[in-house]
Formats: sequence, structure tokens, C-alpha cells
Amino acid sequence: MQIQSTRFGAIEIADDAVIEFADGIIGLPGTRYALVAQHEGSSFYWLHSVDDPSVALPVTQPWLFFPTYDVAVSDEDSHKLGLETSEEADVFCVVRAAQELEDFTVNLRGPIVVHAARRLGRQVINEAGDYDVRQPLFTHVQLNQAAPASSTTPIAATGV
Amino acid sequence: MLVITRRSGERVVLGDDITITVLEISGSTVRLGIDAPTEVPVYRHEIWLAVKAENQAAASSEVTSLPSPLTK
Repeated sequence: MQIQSTRFGAIEIADDAVIEFADGIIGLPGTRYALVAQHEGSSFYWLHSVDDPSVALPVTQPWLFFPTYDVAVSDEDSHKLGLETSEEADVFCVVRAAQELEDFTVNLRGPIVVHAARRLGRQVINEAGDYDVRQPLFTHVQLNQAAPASSTTPIAATGV
Repeated sequence: MLVITRRSGERVVLGDDITITVLEISGSTVRLGIDAPTEVPVYRHEIWLAVKAENQAAASSEVTSLPSPLTK
């Protein structure tokens, strides 16, 4: 199907790429979303509404930035997603993007868990710890190393 | 707002299929047991508010170009 994104214009989305959020995403309209990559190899995706072309939110895979991040999904949430093993789950965290990198934050408390094979998604409350809904995404070290043309060494992400 | 007084062990019923039980009262803390159909999401209010605010802020950011690869 094709959606007319207000941000990106026409986007072609394969039917089997649509993720059904039966309970929606807290505070946002619609129940069908798709992950859209803006740049090849980017650390970020847009979780784009299929129902409302103006709704999209940036997400990232938390372990790229926080290697020691833990997620615990309640039995109820696992059941709703049909998750039997953690290998079946993809985890994304919502990013609040800003003009400056140091102002980017990520919600580690309410991750979005997707059963990849069943294409079911759900925003859960992480029971693994007291994570912040507004965790700064880039550390000072990362910001320095991310300067143009100086990022030849892999950037060390830090734990929470 | 409807205000109801309950003692430990007593319940409140919402509609046909939601039951809230006061499990334990200890000082200023109340433990509640909530039985609701699986299609009814239940959240702690302050967490629900915080997550909702982050989602709406993330979705309404004017930034449309996200950083290119910054991690390996």
C-alpha cells in the first residue's frame, strides 16, 4: 500500500510490513504502523502511522546506545503479543528528536515491543528497572566523537 | 468524581467485567488488585502521563531528518 506521509511524501509500504498495535500507541491515533528507514544504515527509524499520514515518531534500537539496557515485559503484555521467547521480540524506544544532538532524549521506560513474525506491537511499561522516559541519547563522549570526519573509530556507547 | 470509602478486602466493580480489590492498606499506601479484560490496558497514572507526553512530543517534533549512523 502507499501512504502519503506529510513528512516524506509518498511511501510504499508492503502489506506484510504493517504492525498492528491492538491497543494503539499511548496518546497517538490509529492502530497500524510501519517502520520506515530514512537513511540506509541509520540508527533510527520512523514508526509511521498507516492510518494517519501526519503521525510518525522516531525510534531507535536501545542497545545501540545502551548496551546494558534491560527490558522485562509483563506476562500480560507477552500474552497479548503472543511472545513465547525473547528472541521473537524486537524492541524499539521512542526518540524525542531536537535540533541539537545533545538535546535528543529516548524513552527507556516505555519501550515498543514487536513480535516480528506476527507483526504485533505494543508499547509496554518496562518492569526491568527505574528507567527514565527522557534519557539523554548521546553522551558528551559520543557527541565529541561524532564530529564530522573524526568518527573513524567506533563510538563507545555507555550504559545507563 | 464519585468518591467511595472501602476497607481492606472490599471491592469496587466498574461495568460488567472490571473489579478493583483493596488488597492491603499500610500507612499512606494502598495495594490494589485489578481484574480487567485483556483488552483494557491498565497503567499507573503518572507513568501513563509521562509516556503519553513523550510519544506526543516525539511525534510532533519538527525535526524530519534524523542523524545518519552515529554508532558502529
